[in-house]
Amino acid sequence: MKVALRMRRVRFWWYMAGGAVLLAGFAAVGLYRGSVALEPADVAAVLATRLLPGDYGAADPRVETIVWSLRAPRVVVAAMVGGCLALAGAQMQGLFRNPLASPGIVGTSTGAAVGAVFALTFGLAGAFALVAPLFAVGGALLSLLIVTRIATRDGYTPVTTLLLAGVALNALLAAVNSWLIARSWEQYEAARQIAFWMMGGVADRGWLHVGMLAPGMVAGCLVAAWFARDLDLLLEGEEVAASLGVDVARAKRAVLWSAAILTGSAVAVSGVVGFVGLVVPHLVRLLLGPAHRRLLPAAFLTGAWFVVGADLLARTLAAPRELFLGVVTAFVGAPFFLYLLVRHEKEVAVSR
Amino acid sequence: MNGGVERSGRWLLRGVDLVVEPATLTSVVGPNGAGKSTLLKLLSGAWRLTEGRALLGGVDLARMPRRQAARQVAYVPQSVRPTFEFTVREFVTLGRYPHESRLFGTRSADRGWIDHCLDDSDVRSLADRRVTTLSGGELQRVLMARCLATEAEILLLDEPTSNLDLAHGLDLLGLARRLVDEGRSVVLVLHDLNGAARFADRVAVLDAGALVAEGPPTDVLTPELLLRVFHVRAVPLVGAASPVFDFEPLR
Repeated sequence: MKVALRMRRVRFWWYMAGGAVLLAGFAAVGLYRGSVALEPADVAAVLATRLLPGDYGAADPRVETIVWSLRAPRVVVAAMVGGCLALAGAQMQGLFRNPLASPGIVGTSTGAAVGAVFALTFGLAGAFALVAPLFAVGGALLSLLIVTRIATRDGYTPVTTLLLAGVALNALLAAVNSWLIARSWEQYEAARQIAFWMMGGVADRGWLHVGMLAPGMVAGCLVAAWFARDLDLLLEGEEVAASLGVDVARAKRAVLWSAAILTGSAVAVSGVVGFVGLVVPHLVRLLLGPAHRRLLPAAFLTGAWFVVGADLLARTLAAPRELFLGVVTAFVGAPFFLYLLVRHEKEVAVSR
Repeated sequence: MNGGVERSGRWLLRGVDLVVEPATLTSVVGPNGAGKSTLLKLLSGAWRLTEGRALLGGVDLARMPRRQAARQVAYVPQSVRPTFEFTVREFVTLGRYPHESRLFGTRSADRGWIDHCLDDSDVRSLADRRVTTLSGGELQRVLMARCLATEAEILLLDEPTSNLDLAHGLDLLGLARRLVDEGRSVVLVLHDLNGAARFADRVAVLDAGALVAEGPPTDVLTPELLLRVFHVRAVPLVGAASPVFDFEPLR
């Protein structure tokens, strides 16, 4: 009787276990592979010394630096960024009741990048570490509110309107970014940072960046978890959700904030890494169904291993040079997006 | 409820004064665009009144926490195709939302109750199907099960029979009748005037956003009123227990 539901529940735990293994595997390879060849035993010794009580034969300080100060934070940032973007994407798809919504597509990521760039070019980012994430969250929130305002009519967001609003907003924000870059061209370091933000990547990220991302990630996840069930009901339309007991205005505001905080925090440290928020929630929904209590944590975990894996490819595909992380995710994500679009068009054609 | 609602500068309903008595089956009838669905949205609390108030057990619905209201009033909209692939059981469980705890979700007692609701609307065999694959009639019965899952005392059903074949339509009206006999109140929008006359205790007639008549079917459904509101000539069939009409167009 309850086979399908129980299957989805059991499958969820299997899926989470598999995801954890993949994440651990990719992270291990990420620590081990790189421009400098290391012995696996040395990597393990450094990690054990750092994470476990006791001394496990501390390696050469050079190895220690490479593993603990260069590669480890990069892997951690990649996992956090992937998790945040995928979670934000899953929330936005629920919020807009629209499987093509995601931070990249509707301009939330670009809005966050503009916020961060703004903080940087006006020299505010130096004040303290959380300034850039705060501005990025502000930019994300603003662009999300604009898109919601433009594309939503009576609680309904048509796919085409949302996509077109996203295209227009993305173009506008890119123009703002170019202008900000042009203003600050003499400040070489700022210009370089900005270029990095627009391409997206986790190269040279340190423990400071982990610290910049962590508060937003924790806050966003908590809000997401608290309102996960409300999203299930919002999928059925605002009036139905309200009649079943959801405080619709409050739930929508909370989810909007959560998605903006997650996107903004991620973009502030990694720049615009596209398509994670689109592809990951889709795949997870296909496997586990649309219930957000399972979808959200599974999307977070999947985003984490997906981006750690993508960063691994970015580092190794064209070694010794690196690709931008955003380029790798676009290689995977853009064709998938086109596939979804074609399928959606077919469904619309059939329902007519 | 007493009042009206304005949306985008147009009054969808105005000056409507309606009381839903306990343990009665009220049928809302009226031509297209009369405001029938709007009335249900107002009664459910999903929409707020622009003027006037909707009271639930003496408390203003607009001031009541949504979850508390949802435990007392359930609403089934005109069926819309779901786009997200919940299973029927998951879909019906959405109706438990006002009883769920935020931390622990549904409990085993909830699950037993869901089974009961699935049986009541005859959709137990569909429990593992995805809602996106259901036929219109199946979906309507699943919506009914979700409505029952809330345990609400007042059920608001918007055209519940429009997608059902004759037998399932009668089954559904029979279920509504049984729920009323058990002490609940049901308000349903119907296009079938004869069905309304046969199953309902009271009939509310809406026309152009106003309540033009309300009362027992025999008093309300008269040939004069039907001519005025629906623009049809109604010929009563003699010998039936409730008013039954044969309809002829005016032209």
